[in-house]
Amino acid sequence: MATRHDDSSDGRSGPGARESFRETVAGAASAALAALGQLVGGLGTALLALVLLGFLVVTAAACLVGVGLLLAPAVLRALHALADRERTRLARHGVDVVAPEPSPTRLRPALADAATRRAAGWLAVHATFGLLLGLCGLLLPIAAVRDTAFPLLWPLVPEDATSTSLGFGTADSWAEASVVSLLGVGWIAIILGLTPRMARLQARPALRLLTAGPDADLSLRIAELTATRAAALDAHAVELRRIERSLHDGTQNRLVTVTVLLGAARRMVARDPAGADEVLERAQSAAEQALAELRAVARGILPPVLADRGLAGALSGLAAHCAVPCRTDVELPERCAASVEATAYFVVAEALTNIAKHSGATRATVTVRSRGGRLLLRVEDDGRGGADEAGGSGLAGIRRRLAAHDGVLRLTSPPGGPTILEVDVPCGS
Amino acid sequence: MRIVMAEDDPLLREGLALLLRAESLDVVAKVGTAEEVLDAIDTHRPDVAILDVRMPPTHTDEGIRAAVEARRRHPRLAVLVLSAYVEQSFATDLLSGGVGGLGYLLKERVGRVEEFLDALRRVADGGTAIDPEVVAQLFTRSRQDTRLERLSPRERDVLALMAEGLGNTAIAERLVVTDGAIHKHIRNIFAKLDLAPTQQVDRRVAAVLHYLENARRP
Repeated sequence: MATRHDDSSDGRSGPGARESFRETVAGAASAALAALGQLVGGLGTALLALVLLGFLVVTAAACLVGVGLLLAPAVLRALHALADRERTRLARHGVDVVAPEPSPTRLRPALADAATRRAAGWLAVHATFGLLLGLCGLLLPIAAVRDTAFPLLWPLVPEDATSTSLGFGTADSWAEASVVSLLGVGWIAIILGLTPRMARLQARPALRLLTAGPDADLSLRIAELTATRAAALDAHAVELRRIERSLHDGTQNRLVTVTVLLGAARRMVARDPAGADEVLERAQSAAEQALAELRAVARGILPPVLADRGLAGALSGLAAHCAVPCRTDVELPERCAASVEATAYFVVAEALTNIAKHSGATRATVTVRSRGGRLLLRVEDDGRGGADEAGGSGLAGIRRRLAAHDGVLRLTSPPGGPTILEVDVPCGS
Repeated sequence: MRIVMAEDDPLLREGLALLLRAESLDVVAKVGTAEEVLDAIDTHRPDVAILDVRMPPTHTDEGIRAAVEARRRHPRLAVLVLSAYVEQSFATDLLSGGVGGLGYLLKERVGRVEEFLDALRRVADGGTAIDPEVVAQLFTRSRQDTRLERLSPRERDVLALMAEGLGNTAIAERLVVTDGAIHKHIRNIFAKLDLAPTQQVDRRVAAVLHYLENARRP
């Protein structure tokens, strides 16, 4: 698992080589865990692919006698649905596969459709190689645990039972049992060293075959960009409206109050000096409030701390002001684009506000990582859950803002908790 | 003078009330919404209603609509509208029902207490008080009007002050000239705006409305 820090430090300041070795191991372990998750997820779609491949072959054969023609649209629909599912799954792991335009589901146009042919090719590869890699992803950790722990189990296993996960060899002594445990260590080394590559290998056919080809009509992507841009401008306008309102109805009213009170005080100076002094006191406190509100408005536009101390510093500042005890854990080797950092900041600000207001949580954790040019952000609390995006407009605005950066937001909040908010957005620099 | 006041910001509301009461004016009700102020006006029958433009629930033009409605219910009620910013469409909405007993000022003018009290009394007496800022906006927006183009800079100044609601003597004081000179300017203005010499006051109102009408056109 990833290392955790109890405050804003981004982990660069660890003293000595031991610390950095620990971080290297922790980094490899976390990458391997993510890769295993991806491989096993791939196993799921690979099994579905295998079943569908069977249907596809049967349908193709049945077409020769005519019956298959009736089944073809359903099989083609299933193929595209599975391809969509695979694209969504890979997007969760930070692998972006741009979907081609919707493909035809009637047989004749489908046969002529390059995207459909490529999807069928992917189906065959994923149902076989993808399946194998997925199985490795599932079995490697099992084998690693079993073999590493074998010396503990050895006294309990029957005499002639196979000792290793490889299916051969029988341990007759403690020494031999220990050798089996060495094999387990080997499995762990393989997991640490190879699984990220295996995960990439498993994703490669989808990247090559499920993506919109260079010849593809990009109108869908353009439509998507147009929509997200409109949403971004919308979110922007809402934001400007909020700022205008807090300036006019907040700060300006405070300043008007100051001038009104000053005017009143000037009129009172001669006839009631004591009263005038009291009014001046009120004027001063109104001016102070105006300044406080102005600071709040400026911070709401773009927190200055973001430029001064980066996302890690800004987020730890947010966490420190949160009513619920909050831990931040930020590991960002490089700065992201300013707009992305600001978006991440406002996501966390909104999330922490919601947590403090609604969740009843006793603690919250903010985790930020960057992987493959993407910023991964996660806010978790131990509250009562049941957070509803439709309830408040805050999250909707944030979703629009993220969409403009081609980012996604996932909110899981089952009744009883915990609530987890995850954001995945390209760093953009 | 009996006053009903509507301002949604509690601090500012208290500040205004403090100022008015220190001037021995009778604030009979101070409320925070347009709905409440209409009720308060029906109940207290004040001489003047002072209204903020942006009030709950939408914080847009509640005060303007309340002013128009209050004037419809009580035609002799004087209304002074205070606004965080000037919007010429608000002014035309307000003044389209007649300019007598109406004021439209930026909020911060209240701090200049003497001028504010002047404007308040003028409005209460059935006169007009339009913020110089509004008048300036109207001027810039009505440049394309050829008839307004005929005015000399000095005549423009005089018309601007007329539009603010000042009388001849007050205008003469502002511009540091004699009453007679102002009379001459005003006669010229009426002539250049093709306003027939009927009743003096009506022509003043007509001159001001002329601006508002022209400003309303894009």
